[in-house]
Amino acid sequence: MADERSETPMNTDSRTIREPPRLLIPIEVLEGESISASLVEFLAPAEVVLLGYHDLPEQTPTEQASMQYEEKARTAIDDIADSFRGAGGNVETRIAFTHDRDQTVDRVAAEESVTGLLLPNPVGEIEEVIVPIRGAIDVDRLADLVATLLEDGSRRVTLWGLAEEGDEFDAEAAVEYTRNTLSERGLPDDQVSTEVSVAESPVWDIIERSSEFDVIVMGEGGPGLLTSLFGDPSERIAEGAVAPVLVVRNR
Amino acid sequence: MGTNDEAGGQNRAGDEPEEASTSGDGETTVTEEGSELERSIGLTGGLSIGIGTMIGAGIFVFPGLAAGDAGPAAAASFAIGAVIALLVALPASELATAMPKSGGGYYYISRALGTLPGAVVGISIWLGLVFATAFYLVSFGSYAAALLSEAGVDVAGLPIVGTLALLFGVVLTVVNLVGTENAAKLQNYVVGLLLTILVVFLSYGGLDVLGVFGSESTPEQFLPFGVMPVFTTAALVFTSYLGFAQVATVAGDIKDPGRNLPLAMVGSVLTVAVLYVATIFVATSAFGSGRLATFGETAMVEVARALVGDAGAMAILLGGLLATVSSANASVLSTSRAVFAVSKDALLPTIASRVNLQYGTPHIALSMAGGPVLVLVAFGRVEVLAEVASFLHLVMYGLMCVALIAMRRDEPEWYDPDFQVPAHRAVAGTGAVASFGLIAFMQRESQIIGVAIMIAAAGWYKYYAGDVRLKGAL
Repeated sequence: MADERSETPMNTDSRTIREPPRLLIPIEVLEGESISASLVEFLAPAEVVLLGYHDLPEQTPTEQASMQYEEKARTAIDDIADSFRGAGGNVETRIAFTHDRDQTVDRVAAEESVTGLLLPNPVGEIEEVIVPIRGAIDVDRLADLVATLLEDGSRRVTLWGLAEEGDEFDAEAAVEYTRNTLSERGLPDDQVSTEVSVAESPVWDIIERSSEFDVIVMGEGGPGLLTSLFGDPSERIAEGAVAPVLVVRNR
Repeated sequence: MGTNDEAGGQNRAGDEPEEASTSGDGETTVTEEGSELERSIGLTGGLSIGIGTMIGAGIFVFPGLAAGDAGPAAAASFAIGAVIALLVALPASELATAMPKSGGGYYYISRALGTLPGAVVGISIWLGLVFATAFYLVSFGSYAAALLSEAGVDVAGLPIVGTLALLFGVVLTVVNLVGTENAAKLQNYVVGLLLTILVVFLSYGGLDVLGVFGSESTPEQFLPFGVMPVFTTAALVFTSYLGFAQVATVAGDIKDPGRNLPLAMVGSVLTVAVLYVATIFVATSAFGSGRLATFGETAMVEVARALVGDAGAMAILLGGLLATVSSANASVLSTSRAVFAVSKDALLPTIASRVNLQYGTPHIALSMAGGPVLVLVAFGRVEVLAEVASFLHLVMYGLMCVALIAMRRDEPEWYDPDFQVPAHRAVAGTGAVASFGLIAFMQRESQIIGVAIMIAAAGWYKYYAGDVRLKGAL
């Protein structure tokens, strides 16, 4: 594993990545969930932690399920790990049996100190990435991630600032700051475009536009009334959108 | 003794005990192959399992029956039950923190005392939980019937209690077979609501009978039937304390088990004990035990009607329904876990621990819980169901205390409990004597059924799994 690290983008490319991005990919492995080849190829430049999990009904002790399904889960997750290795990726695997998917994902994300996590959705060829910016976001982590994933130069990213009416959030400044940070990381300016709009409901606007793009990269969004009622915005977007969502974790 | 620390031997089907040796911390258990098993029940969840299982019986079923048998001294019967429950809860807590695995009492006894006592306890606790579940379901039937007659439906002359209990038993089994996602969270809210109803009701009732709101009620003689009925009643109502060990059957799912298991077990016993004693005090003060006895299982509804009016009666009816449902459901779940633990050790056919492919639930273990329950519900005699359930649990409780003493004496290398019982010999010794002693006060019929079940369990073990060795195996 150690020698594979020398292939990380930092040394093969002109990028100046501060902290190599590390992604958590939770996969409901026994439900036959998988990661498409194009997404594997897109994500391979980052370090990847594959978490195969099985979400059990309350009636089933985790130990009981693990006795029956452990091997099957391991085989399935190893297959996916092999596809990442085939694409030149650096990948680790974990298996978990749980009654609470969110608790398990949060715990593993913290233990592995990952930069972000993937909420999978089907995707074809990946060319256009959108980064909706709706509030405070860890721009350093975001920039590390986007610059790394866009290293091969053929893909483009759109930074989209969304302000709500009467909001104090300065979307324009946030987009500008993000663009500069990406530029510092060595991402060529011609791969980046920006826009700003006023949104009534950012979540819905993002879902509606998701068909124009192939991957969504966004921040976690803080706690709040809407979050506790309807769940994380990123999860709601992943439910509604046609593109996979990469969520950048707050530090 | 204890030189052989490997599980081994084969049962008739040629299966060996599954060795799932695990390690881990407060948040996960890690299997030998490195898979993580998430612990997802916190302290609130643990308390809610314990209180939710217990509270149904003690408050909503027994006050009438117990007051009829012992008079106002039934409060003392509940207090005796609480002391015994605590004497067992402490050793059980220590064993649970040393072995935080699914299976609870069966697991500790089979590892500390050997396979024969383990098998007898494992199989009889499965049936003990079946008796308890049937008891909760029949009580549910009483409350549902009372609610119907309250709503003006004429049910006189129909076997409505048994029918409703059977119907609901089927619903409960099917729901569990299909699998639930958020029932545990729902249970937390149900228990919270119940506790609120009870605390409000008991505070109001308590002040009322002390004469704050109206005329003070005439105190009745405390021991109208003498001392002996206090103990026989304690044996009957001990069913109201069976829930704390159910916390141990889900020990594998409890977060930070070293802290949360003892707190949940001891905390739930203390909580319900206070409520029980207060309930009996209020109920016997409001009515006098003779009249209370004539109301039977739903006596608390009449108490509430007398103290608070029809709104109070409705609140208690609703509470009774919720409480018996949550008790029955928690017991079905514990039963399936008890069956899993025993079949994993090859004492029952291993097919019982299979997980259903479509619903992801242990369908055979759940059917082995739900099926016999329906038969017993049809049998329908509340007091016998309750006593047999208590009998089988008390045997396990007594043996758990013995197991603690054996573990402390042998001190195997892996035995490292986070929680240690102070003065363990005195506590566990008294706990064992009290548990076995209480059995002596039961009705002859319950004792015979209980002993027959244990002999049958021992016979099954000799026939099916006589070669299996479990002692000392972790």
